[in-house]
Amino acid sequence: MADRPYQRQGRTRPYGARRSSMTVQETGPETGPETGPETAPDTATDPAAGSAAGSAADMVTDMATERAMAAADVGLWHWDIASGAMHLSATATGLLGGSPATLQDFLGLIDADERPSVAAAMAGIENGLDIGVRTVHGRHLRARGRLSGGEACGILIPADAPMTEDRLATMASAQATLREREAHLTSVLETVPDAMIVINSHGVMQSFSAAAERLFGYRQDEIIGRNVSMLMPSPYREMHDTFLRRYLETGVRKIIGRGRVAVGMRRNGSTFPMELSVGEMISGEKRSFTGFIRDLTERHETQRRLQDLQSELIHMSRFTAMGEMASTLAHELNQPLTAVASYLNGCRRLLTGPDTVQSLMLRDAIDRAAEQALRAGQIIRRLRQFVARGETDRHVEDLGKLIEEASALALVGAKETGVHVRYDLDHRVTTVLADKIQVQQVVLNLIRNAVEAMQETERRYLTIATAQRPGGMAEVSVSDTGPGIPPEIAAHLFQPFVTSKPQGMGVGLSISRTIIEAHGGQLTAEPNPGGGTIFRLTLKAIGDDLDKEEADDGV
Amino acid sequence: MASEAVVHLIDDDEAVRQSVAFLLATAGFAVRVYDSASAFLDALPTLQAGCIITDIRMPGMDGLELQRQLKARKVTMPVIVITGHADVPLAVEAMKAGAVDLIEKPFSDDTLLAAIAAAIDRHAEHAARDETIAAIRQRMAALSPREREVLDGLLAGLPNKTIAYDLKISARTVEVHRANLMTRMGAGSLAELVRMAFLARSAG
Repeated sequence: MADRPYQRQGRTRPYGARRSSMTVQETGPETGPETGPETAPDTATDPAAGSAAGSAADMVTDMATERAMAAADVGLWHWDIASGAMHLSATATGLLGGSPATLQDFLGLIDADERPSVAAAMAGIENGLDIGVRTVHGRHLRARGRLSGGEACGILIPADAPMTEDRLATMASAQATLREREAHLTSVLETVPDAMIVINSHGVMQSFSAAAERLFGYRQDEIIGRNVSMLMPSPYREMHDTFLRRYLETGVRKIIGRGRVAVGMRRNGSTFPMELSVGEMISGEKRSFTGFIRDLTERHETQRRLQDLQSELIHMSRFTAMGEMASTLAHELNQPLTAVASYLNGCRRLLTGPDTVQSLMLRDAIDRAAEQALRAGQIIRRLRQFVARGETDRHVEDLGKLIEEASALALVGAKETGVHVRYDLDHRVTTVLADKIQVQQVVLNLIRNAVEAMQETERRYLTIATAQRPGGMAEVSVSDTGPGIPPEIAAHLFQPFVTSKPQGMGVGLSISRTIIEAHGGQLTAEPNPGGGTIFRLTLKAIGDDLDKEEADDGV
Repeated sequence: MASEAVVHLIDDDEAVRQSVAFLLATAGFAVRVYDSASAFLDALPTLQAGCIITDIRMPGMDGLELQRQLKARKVTMPVIVITGHADVPLAVEAMKAGAVDLIEKPFSDDTLLAAIAAAIDRHAEHAARDETIAAIRQRMAALSPREREVLDGLLAGLPNKTIAYDLKISARTVEVHRANLMTRMGAGSLAELVRMAFLARSAG
């Protein structure tokens, strides 16, 4: 429990430390919550604090009031019913003649005769409390209090102390204002999507927002008062106290005011990436720290998936580059191999005449040599087939989802480039037969090319559309408003190692076309009427709707 | 498998041209080589008919375009395509363009020679059939209008009497026309006559 969340020179009120209003302070405003007929000590009448308009902060910082209350023997007490913990202000401790930590301790300080009735009154605190008690030291006191939330608080005053109606009303009004502010602040904090945790200088949690409850899986009431390191996995868990202490000693800020990515641990032991920003509050000699935490799980997922796709794409491009090389090699090597085989076969045909041992051996050797030339051709053919086939894994896929995923990945960071993205999906085309990863690579490739193409242009509109095409095909088009493709490039656009990008390998479109053609579709490019380029790819469409439409078209 | 047929070999690779020409020469073929499709087309008017063997991927005009050109010029010589890049779409294109065969490089002599033999045989067969059809058409064209009418009746399967009635001539006259047209067409029987007429009509 925070022992002194607001105090004399309090400049700021701890952010969201809503519990703190219930804590007992020597001179806090949480005095008698109920007005009573008794008279209050005629001290510390502060008009500003007393007026209904006077803010709670005024009240809190009113040192005159604080001193006055202490001087007037007004003690404060606080009882947390859930934990049973009790706190008494110094004045209350003085009046009672002891500093009880629990209700039992408290009752132990009450005269044995009165103990049962006081215990009963405390048990019935929800009805309000206003009793006279005699301490074990024989002092007559008056205890007043009421229940608020899961906590009870009130005042302890000498039984003979006068208490004016006025004074009590003032205190009650000040407290009501304070509560109202606090409720307001709490409601604001509840709506902040980021989780918020306030710790004190020892790392002990003071406040735990609703979002934090959702994120970490702990309830506020079970986590307040525990060390914040419990929300971190090892080795950070063990190191946190040291970090905190080092900061307090050196004042060198590592995280505060900067924010960084850290790892959090949920109640169930699972960990997650989070973005942590920490603010520091200094009130008098007290410090507390507020951490705002944002769950990065989803963002990390996205990045991880993007990386996966990219590495797949790199793998594919190597594979396809190999294919292109095999294809070129095949042509080049097949020519000399054809010549070798043809010469040898011609020679064998010339070796006619009487069979001698030598001529038989010669014919046999020539035969075998020709076979080897053909074998070399077979090896090249197999290599090409292997490369051309690749690994495909075709299933019926939801085209919209396929595009959505691919574009989400492709457009990471595109917002910063000021590209306006429009989707124009034909609801009649829903499913296609495709190797999802491969086709996503193509779509991703086309979108990235489009975004890149528009870097230098003023109008940046990217349109991703689907449409139905004859022959049971679905079309995906990606249009940009970039500068378009120069004619000298356009003629060789899909050939490998042709590129207009300084850093490009010139394999992206070549691979893309290979993939789409392997799917039985086509990949083409054409100028966008409004400037720029449109790439279109087709895939085999699946689905009743399409078949029906087609049948209708055919009539 | 010697033959009087000439093999026209088109390939941009000199080693391939020379080696294949050598092989074909050992097999008894007369071979003429061309280093490009356009060189072949240039020489075409003076060429002896025969079989064409062409590569597909060549600088300038490729093998597929050559096939289209030949079709446009109504050259009926059979075309065998040889390629170092046989994949399915290419094979389909080549066959659609009218190639009689597609052979992957490198190839065994048997494969190539068998393909040439088949192409030449088929071509000869076609040529013979074309000749027959041309002769039949010529003879049919020489028939008199009345003989044509009688022939139509016979092809429709009508008896002499019905033909006579339809043409408003006597049955005896129909018989005379029929005998004459059989002689002119060189048909020994009605069945043969029908077969000839069918052949002439079917081959567009």
